[in-house]
Order: sequence, then structure tokens, then C-alpha cells
Amino acid sequence: MEEVTATVVMEGAVVGPEVAEATTAEKKGFKVVVAVDDSENSHYALSWAIDNILANRREDCQLVVLHVQHFVETTFMYPVAGHAVYAPTLSMDAVRKAHEENSKRVISRAVDICKSKHVDALTAVAEGDPKDAICEAAEKLHADLLVVGSRGLGMIKRAFLGSVSDYLAHHAKCPVLIVKPPKGSHK
Amino acid sequence: MEEAKERTGTGKKRVMVAIEEHECSHYALEWTLLNLKPTISSPLLLITVQPFSPFTYVAAASYSSPPQELIQSMQEHQKQAALALLEKAKEICAKHGVDVETITEMGEPKEVICQVAEQRNIELLVMGSHARGAVERFFLGSVSNYCVHHAKCPVLVVKQDSGKKN
Repeated sequence: MEEVTATVVMEGAVVGPEVAEATTAEKKGFKVVVAVDDSENSHYALSWAIDNILANRREDCQLVVLHVQHFVETTFMYPVAGHAVYAPTLSMDAVRKAHEENSKRVISRAVDICKSKHVDALTAVAEGDPKDAICEAAEKLHADLLVVGSRGLGMIKRAFLGSVSDYLAHHAKCPVLIVKPPKGSHK
Repeated sequence: MEEAKERTGTGKKRVMVAIEEHECSHYALEWTLLNLKPTISSPLLLITVQPFSPFTYVAAASYSSPPQELIQSMQEHQKQAALALLEKAKEICAKHGVDVETITEMGEPKEVICQVAEQRNIELLVMGSHARGAVERFFLGSVSNYCVHHAKCPVLVVKQDSGKKN
């Protein structure tokens, strides 16, 4: 059976304690992990997954909402006389706090979506490079299906252009479902 | 054939599975039938696309234009292979009790799959992934890679993992 302890730490990724409870689930159900971020696309992907996958298999389907925070950099390069300056701890904490706030916001919005569709979801937060962190988290969580939105996973949306979903499609151990924004929207 | 605009309401989607010459697409089909059966609206579409391209290799190999019979026999062989794949896929679907509609096309697989998905208003495209190395994928291209980027609908990529439990 699946075993994910509350103190799982994987090279910078931390799985929240809520997930640990769920893995003592009775049946060997079907676990769907949806990776979310701030973007509309990932929330659409979450809705799509709930409407089309969980709705039909409510009995044994388990949904996990995963959010990946970017690493909090420990050094900052300031262009001050060409020297690298170590960030003072105060500003690091501030940044870390801002990241956490952001995570909370994203996760709570995702959980709201789940609640409005009457689905119980577990949440997990990982830290690090989105591509790797999602892959690892999906593995640790023994996901049967990984769902991601197509673009905007990560802060530098334009630059990535969906490369995270592309990376996952090739490197994740489990099947990956990439949900595009609905036809009406243009990007 | 349903009207393109008709929405299949209750969470059932028009699903198309791309069948290629690798085992991975049959694995993808099985996986989908096992895990997503309630989501599939009847009939399930299976598409296989025969590429034009092998003939360029033949031309190069024979140092000149290859004999007509060779080309014909290659085409025949390809067609047989494609039909065999589709038959096997149909059997798998029958085993799970799912209605199937098959589509055979010729052309560049990745483009044709995306085109057909759009024409038939497919709501979920399922493909196997070759699990080739990065270098191979760069040179030989990857159908699943292309479709992930260019298909307008959600795409499910199922990788055949030898170490997978289940």
C-alpha cells in the first residue's frame, strides 16, 4: 500500500501533512494528482479533471491538488559594484513568506473549486523547480494520473510556453493528461 | 455521425486513441479502457495513420528510383500492418465492451492526428509515448510531443513503464 509520511522531504520538496492521512486509504483506488498554480489554465484543468474523471468514478477516486513553489534563492546578485551580495535574512524571510501566502491562496482557490463540485481533495505543496518537483511528487504520491494545464505553470509564463507540461509528458512515470484552455480563449 | 456542435453532456467525452506501430499505443488503449471507461462516450475512435515517408529511404538505398513492384509491395505490407494493428485494437476494445469506430488515414501521422481531432471535435486525445531517449526524439521527432503542443483538445500521454505496478 502507499506510504507517504508527513516528513517526506525530497531534495527541496515537502509534502504537506494532510496527504499522509489519506494514504492510509482502505482501497487501492485511483489517484489523480492535479498540479495547480496561479493561472486560469490550471484551474480549468482541475475543473475538467473533476467533471470528467472523478465524476464518473467517485467511489474509488482520490484527488490530490499539488502546488509547487519556486525555490527561495539564498543568494541574490545585485549589480552593486559588480559584487554578489548575500541577501539579508530579513528579506529572505519576507520572500519566503510571500511565497507561502501565494501558495495558500492558490491552494485555497483550488480547494474551493473542489468543494463546489462536492469533491474531497487533499493538498500537497512542493518546493523547487516545477518540472522536477511535480515529477517527484507524483512518484512519491503514487499517482495513477497526473493532470496539468497547458501553459502558465510557473512564473515566467511566456518563456516556458508549456515546456513544463511537455517535460512531464515525457518524464513522469505515470500517464499525464494535459488540458488545454477551452477553444474560446486565445493565447 | 454526431453533429460537431453537439455537447455530450454528463461528463462523457468523445475520445480518440492514436494507434501506432508500437506496443505503447495498445498499452495506452488498455489503460484508458481500464481507468477511464466511464468517461468515454460511445463510440471510441481509433485512428491509425500511414506515413508516406519510408519510400525516401528506399530510393536512397537503391541509388536510383526503386522498382515499381518494390514500392507497391511496401505499400501493401504497410497497409497490412496497419490493419493488423487496428484489428488488435478492436479486439482489446471488444474485450472491454466498448464500441469502436476506426479511422485510417495516410500522411504525416502527427499532423493528421491533430487535424482529425479537430474535424471530429474530439474532446480527449490519447496517445502512447515511445519512451525514446532525448536524442532519438530530437532526430526522429515524436508524434506525442507534437500533439501535446498542437492539438486543441486535452491530450493524455500514457507511458509504458516496464516497472509499473498494476
